[in-house]
This record gives sequence, C-alpha cells and structure tokens, in this order.
Amino acid sequence: MTSRKYDVVIIGSGASGGAVAYTLCKAGFKVAVLEKGRLLKREEFSKDELAYCRRDLVTPNLFDEYHTIEEKVDGKWVATPTYESGWSFWNGNIVGGSSNLMSGMLHRLHPDDFRLKSKYGEIKGANVVDWPISYDDMEPYYTLAEELVGISGHYEKHVYEPWRSTINFTQPPTKENAVVKLLDKSCKALDITPLVTPRAVLSKNKPGRDACYYSNLCGSYGCSSGAKGSSREALLKPALATGNLTLMTNSYVKYLHTNQKEVVSYAVVVNTITGKEKKIEGKIFVVAAQAHESARLLLNSSNRYHPNGLGNSSGELGKNLIFSGGGSGEGELHEDSLKEIAFKDLVTTGLFVNRSVLDWYFIDHWWDGKFKGGSVEFMFEHQNIITRARKNGYKNGQLVWGKELGERLVKRFNTYKNIRFEIFNDWLPNDNCFVALDPTHKDKYGMPVGKLRVEGHPQDQKVGNYIAKKCENILEEMGAKNIYSGVSSSPPQNLVAGGCRFGNDPQTSVLNKYCRSHDVKNLFVADASFMPTGGSVAYTWTIYANAFRVADHIVKRLSGNTVL
Amino acid sequence: MLSSILGLSPYVHAKSMTTYDKAFKKIEPTIAAVQEHMFPKGSKLPSAKMMNATQFLFETITHKSFDKDIRAFVLEGAEELVLREKDFTSMTSGDKEKALRAYEETNYGSSWLSRIMTLAMEGMFCDPVYGSNVNESGWKAINAYGGFPRPKTRYIEV
Repeated sequence: MTSRKYDVVIIGSGASGGAVAYTLCKAGFKVAVLEKGRLLKREEFSKDELAYCRRDLVTPNLFDEYHTIEEKVDGKWVATPTYESGWSFWNGNIVGGSSNLMSGMLHRLHPDDFRLKSKYGEIKGANVVDWPISYDDMEPYYTLAEELVGISGHYEKHVYEPWRSTINFTQPPTKENAVVKLLDKSCKALDITPLVTPRAVLSKNKPGRDACYYSNLCGSYGCSSGAKGSSREALLKPALATGNLTLMTNSYVKYLHTNQKEVVSYAVVVNTITGKEKKIEGKIFVVAAQAHESARLLLNSSNRYHPNGLGNSSGELGKNLIFSGGGSGEGELHEDSLKEIAFKDLVTTGLFVNRSVLDWYFIDHWWDGKFKGGSVEFMFEHQNIITRARKNGYKNGQLVWGKELGERLVKRFNTYKNIRFEIFNDWLPNDNCFVALDPTHKDKYGMPVGKLRVEGHPQDQKVGNYIAKKCENILEEMGAKNIYSGVSSSPPQNLVAGGCRFGNDPQTSVLNKYCRSHDVKNLFVADASFMPTGGSVAYTWTIYANAFRVADHIVKRLSGNTVL
Repeated sequence: MLSSILGLSPYVHAKSMTTYDKAFKKIEPTIAAVQEHMFPKGSKLPSAKMMNATQFLFETITHKSFDKDIRAFVLEGAEELVLREKDFTSMTSGDKEKALRAYEETNYGSSWLSRIMTLAMEGMFCDPVYGSNVNESGWKAINAYGGFPRPKTRYIEV
C-alpha cells in the first residue's frame, strides 16, 4: 500500500512554514506540515515564568538535542556542546514555532538592504552581496503579511522608512504607556525622530482573534487572546479550516530522500513519542525549520547523488550564517526625579512603549563617515519578576541576603522602573560564521548535530557602539539614572538567518530567486536561510513576506503542472 | 500500570527514588538552614520557612525539566559545606554568616550559594501553583504581579 502523496510537504510550522501552508491550502492544494514539537493551544498559554522562561519546556532538553558552538579561544576554535554551556540555540519547538513567543516589534527592510554591496561597496572580511530581487518585488508581500498576520502601527514619513503601497496600517497602534510622552519630548530635544513601532499584536479584534488585553508579559510568552500574530493563530488555524492541511506534531524529520538526482521523493520522519519511523511522500518539499536547522537537515540528507549535502553543488550550504548585531542598554526612571509624567502612570503595567528610531539606519556624516547603521527599539525592561529580583542580588561581587535583601527588593520594585533600548544592526556575513555537521556529536535520534561557528565581523560592534552612545543620550535626556549599555560580539540565538543564500548563480548560491534549490527541482527553503545579508531589523516580517512570495511561486508551478 | 493495579505502586515508586532521595533527606537540614539564613523571619520578604523553600527546592530539582548536572550539584555543594563546617545547622546566626561568607570566597561555594539563592527566589516569585509563594506573599511583599492567565498546572502539564 502506498501512503498518501501530498502536493506539498513542509518541514517546520513557524512563521515561514505557516505562510506557505496558508497560501497553498487556500489555493486548494493538499499540504502536510511536519512539526517536531507538540501543539500548545491558545488556552494552554499562561504567564508562568518558571515554565516558559526558566526551563526548556517549549524547546528540547539539551541532553537530548543540542548544538555545538565553536568559538575562538586563545587563537584556536573550540566547540562546546550546549548541554555543557546551557546556551540553547532552540527557539520554540511547538506548533507555530518561535513566532508564538516573539515580542513582535517588526519593520520592513529598506530598499538599500537589497543592494548593500552596490550601495556601500566591499567590506574587507565580509561576504556582502546584492540580492537577486529588489524591495519592489517584496513590497506586495510585506503588505500581505501586515494584513494577514495583523501588524498594528502608524505610518509616518521618514527618510529611512521604505515606501508602502497602502496608506497606513489597518490596525492602529496598541495602547501606550505615558512614558512615550517623556520619550518623544526627549528625542525631539535632541533632534531625533521617534517613530511608532509596527507590532505583530492586534489592537482591534480580527475574526477568530481578540485584541490585545495588555497582560504585561508578552515577549517570551504565548498569547491568550490570539492578538499576537503567531503562525499558529494567524495562518495555521485558517489553513486547517480549509480541510487541506494535515498537521503532524511530534514529527522529527531525519532526512530527505532523493532517488533520482533532482527530485526529493520522501521525508524520513520519526515520531518523537513512539520512536516509530515513517516516510512522507510529496510532490514538493519546503524546508522551514529555522536557518541553522534547515541547513543541518539538508546536510544530513546527503546521499550518493549529493555527497556534500542536498543541493550543495555550490559548496555554499550552511555558509554565511548570520545573526543580528547590536546590543542593549537601560536606565532607571526614579520616582523622586521623574519629569513630565506621574510615577503612577509610569508604573501602570501592560501598556507598550511602541517607539523606534530609524535615524541611524544609514550614516552619512561629514566626520563619522558613510556606513550602514541600524535600528533601535524602546521598551521597558522585561517584566519577569524572578529575573528582576535575582538580578538585584549582588553587592561588591557578594550575594546579598537576609534583611538587606528584603529592603533592596522592596525598593527595587517600588521606587523606579527601567527603560530599555535594543539595537539591531547588520551581522555581516563572513567566513567564520556558518553551520556544519558536528563530526562526533549526535542527537537522540542518531543524527549528527549542527556545529555552529559564530564569529562576528568587527564592523558590527563598531556600528553597535556608535548607536548605543546616541541612545544613552536619549536616556540621559529623559532623566534616567545608572545608565549602561552593552554591545555584544556573541550572537543572539533567536535572530538567525542565512546558510542557504539565494542568488542567480548556482556556483555561488544554494537557492534561486524563488528560494528553490538550484540542484533539486522540487526542494524549496522558505525560512530566513535565503538571506545573503540581514538588514538591520528583526527578521520576522521579512520571513513572513518572503514565505508568501515563495508560496505564490509554488502555487503557480503546481497550477501550471510544470512540476516533475 | 500493572503495579498500580496490584497495589505495588508505592514500593515501585519508592525504589526508583531511593538513591537521590536518601542523600537529599540526609542533607536537607543543612539546605534548610542555609535558606533560613538567607531568608530569615522579620525581613520585608517572607521567610524561607513560610515559603516552603526546602520542599520547593526538592520538587523543583527532581522534576524532569531540571538540568541533571545542577541537580547533582545542589546536593554536592551542601555536602561540601558540611565537610567544611561540621556543625553548621547548630551555629549561631553570626557564625553561620561567617561560615557562608567564607564558603562564598571559593568559586565552588560561590556558585552553589548562588544556585540556592536562585532556587529560593524562583519559589518565592513564581506562581503559587508550585507550592512556594504561599498566598502570593512573595508578590505582595514587593508589590509586583505577573500577568494573566495564571497557570493551572505546574510545568504546562495537562
């Protein structure tokens, strides 16, 4: 007996997998989504700090599944398994992936992000290239994602705000904390333009999803009203409603099988609970497992036709992995020195800060020079209680305990509130940032784990520091105390892209401009893997948009009967 | 399943728990004394006793979601303290302070004390469903509350 053959088999149910599934199901095709994790429904998400933020419950146990992370120590590359370091590179292995847990502060890329090399030229030690498509090709899909995912905001003209085909967002911004009054005034005093942050959180009801209820704990948590634009709420639910989607949870894909050189015939899938293996057949396969894992899956799918990994005739598979450069900073807004607004309004919980600064997205300054900069988001420090309490427990390198700890925590939680900024700038692609297969370590399913080398380019830190100084000025103008910032050279594991560059030349790229493998005609990679350069904003909006674009192309191919 | 039908489950359960459970029982008074020194009565925060800190610690570190290396470390660090300070539990508060600060001078002791502190704070400020933060007294003490909805079960278990 042959098993059912799907039109499209998607590996991964996060932002990109959801967008492809939605589009294909709506167009009437039979789709299977294979998700390694389990399904957590809306009503199962709570604000349980211990469970969601302090234990690996929505990501694998690191002793079962892990990565090895290669860093330079005294001039030598040393790989450390993440079960030793505790530095997990998993980001939400549940239906909907990490889009369930995002903060949702999103921006479109700028048109010049698509042509960074032409615009800014070579950077020594960085593999910067232009994209094979332009912002104009992507714009309709940014707009589509804005509507379907439900991104709220307010458009204001700004020199680094890309053009848009609709006048404004259909969802107005979410409600804002009074602190924006102080923040806006302080920015203006410094001749800086604060913009409203587009956020993948509904401010108004949408069919099947309720508006934000301002729970106070958003990022790192699932949403209990469906307001957050996760793949699960916004795309998989309506896809399931078409009757065309088969959602297979607890399904780990070991590798893809090709029996002819240019065609994937099935995925080898293991049930993570029973351990049973089966084959899932399809006409088209779409890999959407998050950048570092998508490349690993293709590397693990090597066979006699593809000895170096599936679709890796270029040798580029896994190369040019990118993260996001930048860092963050904070300052304390104290009751006794607060300007402009009342303390009780500042400590009102739940409301958003909703401010971004794009003024330094590109720098062209008579003294500082001309270079690509980055974006800034403003927010309150994360409102997790355990984290905030624990962070405050040291004095001169010693733990504080006893009555002194009590005094300190009461003061900490009642007399000031921390305002925070986060900087996003390009993580320049370079030869020392890539994913390969670890030669010895295997996960509990017997598959080699991904080995990530994660070195950044020195330019990333220079840019981050440049912007951090300007942001510190804003906090100072606001009257914040104990201001500090840190620009890190270590990668934020939740902002990952690249590894399967798209491009027109099969010799230098893994995917073509529709994110189809140059080598394997029915294999697509729909997640952020395609990005040759990262831009200077969080990836999610671009991931959604590009996956809609890829899905449109797949629909055309399936409709035109040109497959196989 | 079968053993529960036959009424054997307490024995089977007990057997699978023995080694770690026994070792923990032995060292439990020391851990409790450290917690009570960190969170004494008369502070602006609820005391370790009132928070069931030791019970919370045991249930937390033996849960499957807890890092097994750290689970062993919690025990070993307490045993090390007893090696250094034989009569720790019966010391005066002043001597306990000296003993713990001396332990903190070592890297090993410092990271163990830090772990004990983290576990106590996890209990005091997480949802009361986990058995600590009794009547939300941890949250009330600092006037900080998380968000809704609250968990109905521990560790997202159905």
